[in-house]
This record gives sequence, structure tokens and C-alpha cells, in this order.
Amino acid sequence: MSRPVYLDYAATTPVDPRVAAAMAQCLTAEGDFGNPASASHEYGEAAAARVAKARAQVAAAVGAEPQDVVWTSGATEANNLAIFGVAEYYREQGRHIVTARTEHKAVLDPCRELERRGWRVTYLVPDAGGILRPEQIAAALQPDTVLVSIMHVNNEIGVIQDIAALGAICAAHGAWLHVDAAQSVGKCAVAFAEFGVDLMSLSAHKVYGPKGVGALLLSGRGRAEKVHLRALQFGGGQERGMRAGTVATHQVVGMGLAFEMAAPAAPEESQRIAGLREQLWQGLAGLGGVFRNGDPRHSVPHVLNVSFADVEGESLLAAIRGQLAVSTGSACTSALQEPSYVLRALGRDDQLSESSLRFGLGRFSSETDIETAVAVVGGAVTRLRRVGGR
Amino acid sequence: MNYNALTQRYFDAAPTAGVLEGTDVHRGASGHRAQGTWVQFDLRIDAGIIRSARFLCFGCPHTIAVSAWVAEQGVGTALRAALRAASRAALPESVLDLSRRFAVPVEKRGRLLIIEDAWIAALRCAAAQTAH
Repeated sequence: MSRPVYLDYAATTPVDPRVAAAMAQCLTAEGDFGNPASASHEYGEAAAARVAKARAQVAAAVGAEPQDVVWTSGATEANNLAIFGVAEYYREQGRHIVTARTEHKAVLDPCRELERRGWRVTYLVPDAGGILRPEQIAAALQPDTVLVSIMHVNNEIGVIQDIAALGAICAAHGAWLHVDAAQSVGKCAVAFAEFGVDLMSLSAHKVYGPKGVGALLLSGRGRAEKVHLRALQFGGGQERGMRAGTVATHQVVGMGLAFEMAAPAAPEESQRIAGLREQLWQGLAGLGGVFRNGDPRHSVPHVLNVSFADVEGESLLAAIRGQLAVSTGSACTSALQEPSYVLRALGRDDQLSESSLRFGLGRFSSETDIETAVAVVGGAVTRLRRVGGR
Repeated sequence: MNYNALTQRYFDAAPTAGVLEGTDVHRGASGHRAQGTWVQFDLRIDAGIIRSARFLCFGCPHTIAVSAWVAEQGVGTALRAALRAASRAALPESVLDLSRRFAVPVEKRGRLLIIEDAWIAALRCAAAQTAH
């Protein structure tokens, strides 16, 4: 039996075989399996050299310096470390944070937790296309705002925020700017230093690297002081005391190589993906009652999010299951599906927010995949509308 | 969400989906699309017996599957007997038994009541029109 067509690259990607091979060299007795913190012998030195190379590869891919990189278990941990770390370190300077309603839960949930602990959080609402205006950020800043956390590329709708503009506003105000860039690398230009970002979260598995590894970039260059964090875990002092625990050599080596191969994304590959996305959109739009979510003028080519009128979301997913692997923005809490909070924030009603599909295109996506997707979704939507009397 | 084999079969095939036409067809509906679930039944009654039934449904796979099954199983039922049972269990099987048969999660059982309401509405429509 053939496997479903995979169009969920925004959720995760397969590990590139070259990345897997490099990782395997750090695992067994013949390879560089040493503890990179063991400076007293050559096993540790070899592993440390691998880690240093990976640090340089990640930094180079995103316009940062190697010393900016703090390894984490992924973007979620990086987001938690950035938000809790900054909030706790600067708690005497201020307890106000600015973020957006369309952020990933890995940002929103830490913010909610800080609210429970006494911080104030302003949740900005983007326009109907998902874009935040820099003036919104400026207007939200208060004298005691210590942190602004805005994602670069939205994981659900793919829109790109103007991070450089936000960086300038935050720097002028004195608030630290954290950017969740888990979806950015390999899809659009990422320039940590040039953007004026102070903290940036990264993930390996979105760019053909392994799951379970990511990084938090820390800088504050150009400011009177570097950004500081209060660590969330202790025991060993690794990563300059900001993230204790033995560095997983094979994981960071995989991330380093994946980032090196991902950036900069070749223009012809971006054009190919953009062409496939347009082919997909045109095919789906022909069904009628199909709505594109997110401003296509300001989005990465790899993501297409659409809502279907007169179709119930769970039934749509069930009807395409087994043939197509895509995501829905709606969340399953217990057995019930809830509308996507991101699409609700954009002003979509509950039905359209629940009946959305996110197509994530990637390196191995082909025209045949798109033709299959259009046929499968088209058939399901037509059938469900007929069953529903529309 | 995983579905049992019966739910998957009736959701995929929806064998009784559609509408019936004619003066001997009686219609009942319940629920709201905007609230996520809407069900309609058409019943063709002849000599006091449900001769055929069709359904339309905007809802989750469980709701579609159960609606399809009810429309299929309800054929052959005497209208008067079904109406007498309406206060207790108008459907070919009770809501509780249906929820077991189709492995409907507890959180979704309210949707089976919408199916029951639509079925009862169709029965009552038939009873009212055939009484004249």
C-alpha cells in the first residue's frame, strides 16, 4: 500500500541522508562519541570540535556569531528560555511583555504562565492578512515593557513579519526583542544581527535536520549591554550556564549541517516551490467557496492555508486521511475539534477557522503530489458538500 | 481521531445521503450549521410504513455515519409505532446503544440527540400531514 502524499513539511521534515550520516559518525565507538565537555582527552576534544563547527554553521546560516548560539532541545525550549529567562532576569525593571495572538503556543503558553505570576501581557491582533504593523508594536510599548516576542514566519499561515522594523522600534524603546524563527530558515532570509534581534529561537527538524535539537541565539549587540537571562535548569554549567546538560553532539552536528545546506535557500528552489503552491491554490480555488488565509504578498512560498465553506473540519480531515498528510490549524481538545485560534484572530468565523487545511511544501514535493492533493481534497469537499445539502 | 470500522464505513459510503421528492415525502431537521451540526431526514411513507429515508448532514464523521445508519435502518418501521416510542427512543436504536455501536466519544453524544430530534421532527411532519 502506498503511503499518503506528504504535504506537511511545515510540521516536520525528513532528515536529509547526509545529515543522518554525519550524526551517525558521532554515536558509536568508532566515531566522535566523546563528551564535548571532556577537555582532558582526545575523545572529548574531537566531539568539542564537532560542536564548535556546528555552532559556526548555525550562526553563519542566520547572520549571527558562533558565541551567540545556545543549544536547546528545540524551538519550544528556546522560546521558554527566552521568555522566562528575560522576564525573571529583568523583573525589577519591568513586568510588561508584548506579543501577538497569532504566536505559536510555545510563546503564548509561557506568556500566560507569566500572567499567572503577575506579569502583564499585551496580545496584539494582526490585520486580516496576518501582518502586524510596526506602529502597533510602538503603541503597545509601555515604560516597563521588558520584552517583545514576535515570530518571524507564522507556522500556520506562513506570513512573514517585518522583523527589522520591529527591531528598530524595540531598540529605541529599550525593550528586548525575541523572535521565534523556527519556520524561517531555508524559506526566507534570516539576518539575526542585521534585523536588530536580541534573542532568536531556532529549530532543526523544520529544515531536514533531526528532532530534539534547536538553539536560542542571544546578542544585544549595538545596545549598551548584552541581553541577560536567568537560567531555567542547572547542573554542569554548559552553554555558559544558560542551559545545563551534556551537549548532544550528534544532534547539534545534524542541526549544523542541515542549516549549512538550508541557507541561503536557492532562488530557483524557492521559485519551484512557489510555482507548486500557486498550482495548488488554483486547483483548490476552482472548487468555489475556498478562502486563502494569510497575505500571499508577504508569505513564504512553502505554506498554503485555505478554508472551505460548507465543510465540517473533522469530516474533511477524515475524508482525506490515508491519501494526504496535511495539517489543520484547529486543535483537538479531547474528542472535540476547536477552531484555529490563529484564523480566529484574523477574523475568520468558527466554521472557516475549523475547516482549514495547511499545506506545507518541501524539497521532495512534486507536481504529481499537487495534482493528487487537488484531486483528493476536491473529491472530499464535493462529497461532503453534497452530503451536507450544498 | 480514530473511528471504528462501522463509523468509517458509513462515513465513507454515506449510502442514504440525499433528499426525496414527492407529495408522500415528509421532512424534519435539527441543529445549526453555524454551531457545527445540522441533520435533515426525508421519509417516504406509504400505508403508514416508512418505505424509504434519506438524510443530509453537516457534521463530524460520527454524526454523518450515524445519520446514514438511522436512515437505512429506519426503513420498514411503522410510523405509529415509531411515534409512540418517540418520547422514549424514536430512533431504530437508543442514543446510548448508538454511541456504543459507533464508538462515539462521550463529548460528542449531544450530536446524537440532534440526529434523534431531526428524526422525530420528520416523523411528526409525516404524522401531521398523513392525518389530514
